[in-house]
Amino acid sequence: MRVLFFAQLKDVTGCDAVELALPSPLNREQFWAALLEKFPGLREHLGNVRLTRNWEYADAGTQFADADEVALIPPVSGG
Amino acid sequence: MEIEVQLTGSPIAEKISPPRLAAHGAWLEFRGAVRDEENGVKISGLEYEAYAEMAVREIRRLLEKLSALHPCLAAKVIHRIGIVPAGEAAIYVGIASRHRAEAIALLGEFMNGLKQAVPIWKRRALPFKSIEDDVRSLTFPGKIPETPHVISCKSLDEAMAEIRSHCQALPAVRAPLTAALGRVLREAVCAPSDIPDCDRSTRDGFAILSNGESETFFIVDKLHAADWKPRMLKSGEAVRIATGASLPCEGLRVVMQENVERNGDKIKILRREDSPNIRLRGEDVKAGATLVQTGARLDAGKLALLASAGRAQLLVSPQLRIVHFTTGDEIVPPEQTPKPGQVRDSNSILVRGLLEKFSCDLQQTHLPENFEPAKSQISSLKSQIENAYVLLVSGGASVGEKDFTRPLLEWLGFEIVFSQVNVRPGRPLIFGVNGNQIAFGLPGNPLAHFVCFHLFVAAALEKLTGGSPRQFGRGTLAVRLEDAPNPRETLWPARLAGAGLVPLKWSSSGDVTCLGEANTLIRVPANCGAIQAGAEVEFLAADF
Repeated sequence: MRVLFFAQLKDVTGCDAVELALPSPLNREQFWAALLEKFPGLREHLGNVRLTRNWEYADAGTQFADADEVALIPPVSGG
Repeated sequence: MEIEVQLTGSPIAEKISPPRLAAHGAWLEFRGAVRDEENGVKISGLEYEAYAEMAVREIRRLLEKLSALHPCLAAKVIHRIGIVPAGEAAIYVGIASRHRAEAIALLGEFMNGLKQAVPIWKRRALPFKSIEDDVRSLTFPGKIPETPHVISCKSLDEAMAEIRSHCQALPAVRAPLTAALGRVLREAVCAPSDIPDCDRSTRDGFAILSNGESETFFIVDKLHAADWKPRMLKSGEAVRIATGASLPCEGLRVVMQENVERNGDKIKILRREDSPNIRLRGEDVKAGATLVQTGARLDAGKLALLASAGRAQLLVSPQLRIVHFTTGDEIVPPEQTPKPGQVRDSNSILVRGLLEKFSCDLQQTHLPENFEPAKSQISSLKSQIENAYVLLVSGGASVGEKDFTRPLLEWLGFEIVFSQVNVRPGRPLIFGVNGNQIAFGLPGNPLAHFVCFHLFVAAALEKLTGGSPRQFGRGTLAVRLEDAPNPRETLWPARLAGAGLVPLKWSSSGDVTCLGEANTLIRVPANCGAIQAGAEVEFLAADF
């Protein structure tokens, strides 16, 4: 599974993307648990980061699979 | 509603024309500029960052949603990414509608929605007056940023174009025929004389005047393949002639011996064939005509043709000096039985085999997985690396903790041009440049190697050697291609056979069995999903 980080989250993880070998499918809680284990620094951003799966915002029922591209979206500030 | 969305690193044009729609009465434009202060501090610009593919989709989706509430005719949105100096527009929105009210309403709601859901960020503010320094520090070659750069994920076409733009044809050298296999001919070679050089018989038989009425002939001579005995034949005269032998004069035909009754020095013709059974002088090629074009890669057939034209020395591309590193502690030699967690090295022989076509001087070395011992091993290969035209690194191209291809290339002085291509398999492909040298970091599994080599490495080698670029062909699917829609463009391993293209079984890029059969790669567009049998598809030959 490919996981992308943007904006200030790059400073937290020290990279802009990782390839993670995770059991799949995962629900949102399982995904976060696996990610926080690797990047504990993300915990304080948990409250205001949205997840996307293959370029669409994930919702409570989204399942994340191995072939997916998942991104962590901190609050946006375009325009 | 017609929608156009662009993300751009360049300034937005001063004047943008409204779409050519007869129905619109209103054309509303908005430009959001970067102010010269942020939170009370004077700044010289802002740096924007985007999750590009998703941002474009979200903008489009937002516009579609809003146009249901406020019916408009067309919208154009341009958003800058990268550094935008204060005073310049970071965003442009143009909306066409029948009347002004719906355009104004849509614009207001669009800008609110953009600031909530579209993944674009103001990454940082640039302190006042430092913008030139800042731009310089970002582009200064050789400087490695402390945190990795924004991944620039290229499309297949963009990546190919980028690779070609960084490769220049190497100077040509003279080489004998025997050393020219796999090189690219860098001069056009013309026929020095007609081929064949004179009229020659294609049958064992008897040469006679082609316009004679006579049925019986007197044999006046006998010609073997190597004979050259010109003479004028008279009516009633025949010459015994062997296949390939030169005819004694013009205006003749050859009658096959099977159609002749022979009695001592005399023959009687039983039947005249329709064909004169002669290969005419210059029939194959006339003197001066091009035999092999410049830019052709020399295979056995072309070399035979050049030999027949008397060209023993050729102007060709130089032998390619290539250094190939394999990485990964899990790799064991093919003859060794892998322990749990280990795999046999198939990439070394794969790369060697794929390069065979290109006439290479290949140096292969396995590197330890830790960066420091790898560095010391590389130091002992310094001169080979410096002399190489191309550096290939297998494995370690991803972004795992132990994946050191990128730092390794940077340490060797390469500037990374891109580190991802939006293709499956083979997405984490690294391409770097160091002066005239180029480097590829190939993702570790063999199928990704196979795909990346045929797509990208071969494109670079063609350009370096001055060969003609490889092109996608078009063919028909013999069997349905079963796939779920995937956001990436896919190169699907396939076999081109008599009935058309047969997609091979392939579910993960770790699969290897399809390597035994694949001779083509089918190009499956992003989000395409399954393709019906009989459909026309693009494919790339992968038969070496």
